[in-house]
Amino acid sequence: MKLILIGMNYKTAPVELRERLQNYCSNQDVALPDLMRNSEIKEAICLATCNRIEVIARLGDPVRGEDFLKSFLSRQGNLDIEEMEKYLYVYRDIEAVLHLFRVASSLDSMVMGEPQILGQIKEASRMAVDRHATGVLLNRLTHHAFQVAKRVRSETEIAGNAVSVSYAAVELAKKIFGSLKGRSALLIGAGEMSELAARHLIRQGAGNIFIANRTMARAQQMAEEFHGAAVPFDDFPSFLPEVDIVIASTGAPGYILNAQMVAAALRKHKQHLLFMIDIAVPRDIDPDVGELDNVYLYNIDHLQDVVDANKALRRGEALRAEELIAEEVAGFEKWFNSLAAVPAIVRLREKTDSIVRGELERFSAWLGGLSEEDRAHVEWLVSSVVNKILHDPITVLKEESSEGEELSDMAAIRRLFKL
Amino acid sequence: MTETLLFKAALAAYVASAVVYGGSLLERRVMTARFGAGLMLVALGMHTLYYIFRWFAEINIPSVGGYDTLSFFAWVMAASYLAMQLRTKTRVLGAFVAPVISVLMVIASIDLGGNVAGSAALTGTLVIAHVMLSVAGEALFAVASLAGVMYLIQDRLLRRGRDRSLIHLFPSLHDLDRINHLCLFGGFSLLTLGILAGSFWARIVWGSHWQWDPKQVWTLLAWGFYAFLLHQRLALGWQGRKAARWSLLAFAALLLMFVLESFFFRSAHTFL
Repeated sequence: MKLILIGMNYKTAPVELRERLQNYCSNQDVALPDLMRNSEIKEAICLATCNRIEVIARLGDPVRGEDFLKSFLSRQGNLDIEEMEKYLYVYRDIEAVLHLFRVASSLDSMVMGEPQILGQIKEASRMAVDRHATGVLLNRLTHHAFQVAKRVRSETEIAGNAVSVSYAAVELAKKIFGSLKGRSALLIGAGEMSELAARHLIRQGAGNIFIANRTMARAQQMAEEFHGAAVPFDDFPSFLPEVDIVIASTGAPGYILNAQMVAAALRKHKQHLLFMIDIAVPRDIDPDVGELDNVYLYNIDHLQDVVDANKALRRGEALRAEELIAEEVAGFEKWFNSLAAVPAIVRLREKTDSIVRGELERFSAWLGGLSEEDRAHVEWLVSSVVNKILHDPITVLKEESSEGEELSDMAAIRRLFKL
Repeated sequence: MTETLLFKAALAAYVASAVVYGGSLLERRVMTARFGAGLMLVALGMHTLYYIFRWFAEINIPSVGGYDTLSFFAWVMAASYLAMQLRTKTRVLGAFVAPVISVLMVIASIDLGGNVAGSAALTGTLVIAHVMLSVAGEALFAVASLAGVMYLIQDRLLRRGRDRSLIHLFPSLHDLDRINHLCLFGGFSLLTLGILAGSFWARIVWGSHWQWDPKQVWTLLAWGFYAFLLHQRLALGWQGRKAARWSLLAFAALLLMFVLESFFFRSAHTFL
């Protein structure tokens, strides 16, 4: 297939080196023309993210092409080739296909199942297409990779569960409220964690956000950012009946919320469900609150457990994803092999077409005597006979080549038809 | 014979749906549950065709007596469950609903095509309305209770459970509460109408609205339970655990009535 994938990622190369290459490769207007200038590079895509730099290419001569790519990368990385090779991985042909499918499906990512990488590959491939750096093979390959990634996402749970504490909280909230649209939240304490959680809530459509913080200025600053309202810290209990979600993260030395306060708020709240997260250490909310009807209280340890369990779940799903990818790689290989039959099929068609045209030409005097309609019928009849005869040999050619075996039937057809 | 075939096909599809839903619980996959819902839809379609065929063959009006009632009960459960799916994410609630439907259908199939004509008094539009409305109401209560059971399980899982994948698989508390609420509301309206139809008809046939029939007493008691529960929900905003528990309690009363009445009492309502 003369396909090569060469590059480095967060596992094989230090960040300083990746930075240097990324700076260069992310400027596709320079990097792609530089690559394509070499005559051994027939098609190329350059993928540069903060975690990986990879070049995927179809080569003319595999050995010379590979040497060129290695020296190209080491030149940009400012290293000797020997030095550079320590950081590089090289995948050829089917292995390259497998690697790309795995990367696109986020199996090779730092956080397995993260969705960004697919977008990054799409962007890189679009850049290459726009600069006419790709052809049949890479277009088909990247297109197939997107499909594989989509299949992995929908048929496995690899991206199904939260692997960060703040997102785990949001997932739990969804199992309580269904949708977070229009749900309101109270943040007690305006730390980094609660800010992150609030961001997730808003992305899920949460409505009013109230922020209570000891330093009012910080609360106001955050309120502005989230289009929420800053409330005086000592007043926060009076906002409890107004909200569905409470996120506590103050530096207070003891509990600032007890069961009595929450029960009183719930009575005014008409027994709505209340979801509370206590990410403060030491804790802000008395654990007794969690025993109340319709109150769901989680502390940082609960959430960390959720995250750990989800990570294990993803590792299990990764195995299923690998099976799926192996299947898809086989499918791609089949398509690629069937390409071998294409020249012979094209030649066969050209030959029969020219015979048909020649014969129609020869009888043009007689055809001229027919009506327009009859002439069309005759032409249709001739070409349909030819197509029927060709159908079986062409099918055989396609089947034989997609099996990837010795092409003995193709040789026979070439000989018989003098192609 | 077409209708017998349709009934059996519907039964088979309900059972298949129950098995697939069970599989989705074991496998912990929502995708599988969707497949189960599809099977239930197929089953419901054939079950509906079965009634249409019977209607045209004029064998008898559906669900006036006997095991036939169970089949209609199952039909309403399936239809209301699938209708819920249009409005909320029911996810694996079907894993509770489908087996109940399957069991009802199996029992109903014992007497398939048998003589279901009751006494001569059991004819007329009012009787049919009485039976169909009451059975439909009770079937909705059954779905409400199953949603209630699932609510209590999900509540427990969320409080103590470490079973992350099961929490993920079950519907959200909000959705379960909504299903419970909608089914209670619909069921209560239908049952009330059914009781009214029955009492009018009793007035015509026996000359009095009230017979002190054991089933009447129990049903009224259960009706009272449900009336109370709905009042608390609508007026006091009862939600969640308490509401779910009460809906189970009320349904238990209904079930108890059914069992007692079938095995210990003889009444105008005994057909089985």
